[in-house]
Amino acid sequence: MVLEATMICIDNSEWMRNGDYSPSRFQAQADAVNLICGAKTQSNPENTVGVLIMAGKGVRVLVTPTSDLGKILACMHGLEVGGEMNLAAGIQVAQLALKHRQNKKQQQRIIVFAGSPVKHEKKMLEMIGRKLKKNSVALDIVNFGEDDEEKTEKLESLLAAVNNNDTSHIVHVPAGPNALSDVLISTPIFTGDGEGGSGFAAAAAAAAAGGVSGYDFGVDPNLDPELALALRVSMEEERARQEAAAKKAAEDTSKQGGEQQAGSQEASSQDATMTERASASTSEAENKTTDLMDDENALLQQALAMSMDEPAVGHDVKDTDMSEASVDDPELALALQLSVADSTKDQASQSEVLADQSAVSDILASLPGVDLNDPSIKDLLASMQNKSEPQKKNDDKSSNEEKK
Amino acid sequence: MSGESATTAIHKGQVDLLDFIDWTSVECLNQSTTHSLPNAIKQGYREDEGLHLESDADEQLLLYIPFTQVIKLYSIAFKGPEDEGPKTVKLFSNKEHMGFSNVNDYPPSDTVVLSPEHLQGKPVLLKYVKFQNVRSLTIFIEDNQTGSEITKVQKIQLIGSTSKCIDVEYLQMFLKIGGKIVYFEMGNDNH
Repeated sequence: MVLEATMICIDNSEWMRNGDYSPSRFQAQADAVNLICGAKTQSNPENTVGVLIMAGKGVRVLVTPTSDLGKILACMHGLEVGGEMNLAAGIQVAQLALKHRQNKKQQQRIIVFAGSPVKHEKKMLEMIGRKLKKNSVALDIVNFGEDDEEKTEKLESLLAAVNNNDTSHIVHVPAGPNALSDVLISTPIFTGDGEGGSGFAAAAAAAAAGGVSGYDFGVDPNLDPELALALRVSMEEERARQEAAAKKAAEDTSKQGGEQQAGSQEASSQDATMTERASASTSEAENKTTDLMDDENALLQQALAMSMDEPAVGHDVKDTDMSEASVDDPELALALQLSVADSTKDQASQSEVLADQSAVSDILASLPGVDLNDPSIKDLLASMQNKSEPQKKNDDKSSNEEKK
Repeated sequence: MSGESATTAIHKGQVDLLDFIDWTSVECLNQSTTHSLPNAIKQGYREDEGLHLESDADEQLLLYIPFTQVIKLYSIAFKGPEDEGPKTVKLFSNKEHMGFSNVNDYPPSDTVVLSPEHLQGKPVLLKYVKFQNVRSLTIFIEDNQTGSEITKVQKIQLIGSTSKCIDVEYLQMFLKIGGKIVYFEMGNDNH
């Protein structure tokens, strides 16, 4: 995050027409420049970047150091290739441009793209380098394009003259399949002496590598970590729930036949649809479905119990349900007590209905130890018949509710 | 401070301006990274014989020293080796962010040529009238005694006074002898 003013020197000489860097040397250079400008402005918002051309009609400053990225990109547009590069003049003009920067607190840096052969003497370059060092200007050299020993030697000596405590760097980029920008991303020119700017570089590298690389849910954890996490968690929960449901289903089928399984399967399919929709509130959804399942189980059990066992047993089942609830809330307990009192009546009236509709005598006869001719039983039957009619409607309602 | 006055003979009423230097904005161009400016001006460092300020690419040095308040500069003292110590020193008052390219564009507030005996720490009196309202001082060391590649400076001492405060030693002495401070308005106070 060093506060820096940078001048980028572009080589737009005739040598840049060559296509050994795709699509052309000049285009590759332009892409690299754009990337550098972005990285510099991102690493510190107060950084400024300027651009000048070294060839063409002569050394010309395209844009003075500014933090406006749009301006920089605009000036790169419509550049012509031609002429011969003047490295020494380019560096000196860059130094002058930096000297007149608005914010004097910024560190000075020049980035030179040296694509064409260097025609200056080594001594002259060393002198320039020393002058830069004296004025505490750092220099980064990108050696690409024309590759001859003399050029490399000269540029290395220039770097040695400028370099003060490893603030200046040189990068040699040979022609090849890799784009110029990609090679530069990993160099200290981008990473800024190993500190800030690496975030931008990492993101750029990821984008260059080709984006989606087998993410689990088609969602990049970097872009949306919360969504990715929610999806992963819900998938795990669903798996766990399905296992539990399957276990329970296996247990229940042995007890109560197909209905239970059907109920649990229905519940699990419900769950599946829920995860497909990928709702963010996965925990809520899970609670709801488990509640539903429990309720369904309880109700099914009840229904079965009532149809199979004596009314007293069914009554007990209902009682246990009620008592569980009553522990939590005294008001609720009171209400339940009243309803239990009612339900006992209903229970009894239900049995009355049964007594009315199906041949009660047959049933009573089937019960052991009951003699229809017993006078007490006869009395009981008579009293039940009297009560049965007005309570019949109530029974229907209550039975419907229970059946749900 | 009194220990120093024995060797450097600070004039009465003047103080070492070390305490008034704004350390956050001090700059030095063409200094060697291992031998930097604090070695020459910071308390303790400058007394150490082993630590000195050294130039890097060539023999010139450009120092920029801002102050926390407006001061008056009275004299300046250098200490350095006989052969590589500074010779011609140009002082600029209140010129910010100068570079080697424009040092010769402006006339200096004062020019000092140091002799070997000055390099023992003998203060050089300056044109006091030129340094009445100093916010920052730029010291340009143009060359050294023998013309060698590297200039070495062991200690730089700035002596002067501040415009509003009176000498602390005076004040302490005054209070010790039982003096009392009475506030009164002076006629020509330089606001």
